[in-house]
Amino acid sequence: MKRGKFWAWLTFALGAAYFIIPLLATMEFAMRMRRGTYSFDAFAVVFGDPRFQATFMYSVVAAIFTILLGVLIVVPTAYWIRLRMPQIRPVIEFITLLPLVIPAIVIVFGYIRMYGSNSPLPFLGSARGTDALLVIGYATLALPYMYRAVDTGLRTIDVRTLTEAAQILGAGWTRIITRVILPNVLIAVLSGAFLTFAIVIGEFTIASLLNRPAFGPYLQNIGANRAYEPAALAVITFVITWGCMTVIQLLARFAPKSANRPN
Amino acid sequence: MPDPFLSIQSVKKSFGETAVVRDFNLDVGRGEFISFLGPSGCGKTTMLRMVAGFEEPSAGRIVVDGKDVTNLKPNQRKIGMVFQAYALFPNLTVAQNIAFGLNVAGTPRAETAKRVSEMLVLIGLPQLGDRFPYQLSGGQQQRVALARALAPKPRLLLLDEPLSALDAKVRVSLREEIRQIQKELGITTIFVTHDQEEALSISDRIVVMNNGRADQVGTPFEIYNRPTTRFVANFVGTLNVLEGQVVDAGAGTIQVAGQTIELGRSLAGRSGGDGVSLALRPEAVSLGRTPGRPGALNGTIADVHFLGSVIRVRTKVGDRTVSLDTFNDPALPPPVSGSAAEIAFAPRDLMVLGD
Repeated sequence: MKRGKFWAWLTFALGAAYFIIPLLATMEFAMRMRRGTYSFDAFAVVFGDPRFQATFMYSVVAAIFTILLGVLIVVPTAYWIRLRMPQIRPVIEFITLLPLVIPAIVIVFGYIRMYGSNSPLPFLGSARGTDALLVIGYATLALPYMYRAVDTGLRTIDVRTLTEAAQILGAGWTRIITRVILPNVLIAVLSGAFLTFAIVIGEFTIASLLNRPAFGPYLQNIGANRAYEPAALAVITFVITWGCMTVIQLLARFAPKSANRPN
Repeated sequence: MPDPFLSIQSVKKSFGETAVVRDFNLDVGRGEFISFLGPSGCGKTTMLRMVAGFEEPSAGRIVVDGKDVTNLKPNQRKIGMVFQAYALFPNLTVAQNIAFGLNVAGTPRAETAKRVSEMLVLIGLPQLGDRFPYQLSGGQQQRVALARALAPKPRLLLLDEPLSALDAKVRVSLREEIRQIQKELGITTIFVTHDQEEALSISDRIVVMNNGRADQVGTPFEIYNRPTTRFVANFVGTLNVLEGQVVDAGAGTIQVAGQTIELGRSLAGRSGGDGVSLALRPEAVSLGRTPGRPGALNGTIADVHFLGSVIRVRTKVGDRTVSLDTFNDPALPPPVSGSAAEIAFAPRDLMVLGD
């Protein structure tokens, strides 16, 4: 083995160990629920818990609505900025980065002040309204990832020329976005969607402070009161997140190849 | 033109303070193939984009088939366009790309399929309907782009430098194909190019554009042989420009580098003592006296380039250089640099340039 390669592999192994050893330890601990032998009892308890199923499904539904809201907001915005207002792109990029800088707790306290039952927009006056506010909050948290994924997708196609080609063939804006732009950035949108999914599944702050039965507060609750189940839940959450990442990688292979640049 | 199909009337376009198109006027007949020819930044693409509806004129009108389309959106104009970068939809197959405009128009499915097949045959790619754009060569992609533009039977076809991204060989064959298809369908076409050879070879008429204006509009023969401005003369083909002085405007006598030339025609609008620019195409000049070329100027051979079948000779006349090409004759030695030479031309081939 060449000297350079050895150091590269060593660095890789150290990095991998840094991530994998704690996970293996967590997995090993989760499997020690039954005394004296390894078992999947903790996982069975978790999967059998009706609260796990309910909170997980709640978060999955919230994630789906968050993705839809994110796509509806981000795709037309990123498209329009690339097409008509490239000069304000840095401003939009800055705005989309704000959720990374402003803590979720600040956002949720803002929501509670702004959308209380006495406000003109009383989201918090009903359970459905609070669910809607939760989805809006999640969409805000996912904005940096969704925007970047979509913007990167748009960069791979000649947005302006494709738009003009569709326009001159008689297409209106709805057809241009749904038949030309969206299919060509679909993989990027799906990447953003799976990142959003991963964020929503593990989110705690907003869901907890809005008092919604989401998966994040359930994780926290179990972690505070049980020994082995939290470790099993941590492993399950990692598997879900990694599953999302794998799907993103697989989808990237099916991205339409751009034929819009002259050879 | 009594009944033009496309009429561009006093169109102007400015971006901020910069005027890109200035007072552009043009009438195009039905079925005519017109080329906008000019260097980068002359406004030819902007003018085309205004016809397409992608840019709004700052002033003026665009009329297609008697209807003012100046304020119509691109998707309301029924115009076909082929772009330099092909602009095929990467997610759609060749057949789906061609069918796009027909689907937008709500054409019945069977009719769409028939039209797509016709178009595929027209562009000579009947077997490639199921391919995706990335599986085609540049030339094939541009053919598909042409078929897509023609499928909905547009009133007007716009071609925005469609050949400039292709290699030289494909460019020549495709331009001939485009012209063939255009003639076959009889569709009024505007072709934008900066390549003079392309424009000369396929156009019915050429609009030579300079600095946002149409400097000259004419047939390729007129544009090449009778340029009316210095810009057109310089831009189209290779040109030898000589500076002279009018001796007798009525008799057409001019002095160039101390030597007198009789034009054989009067110089309208000029008088004795005026400066005048004269132009000669290299093919209109020969070395030594030649029958039918009574005009002559004496000079010195500056340099000689042997190019095989052709010898390019540059002759110094006063402070100007005149290039001419002569066929290689194995029986004769090539001209020698530094030797005296007489160049001959027909006075009718001398072009008097305007500004």
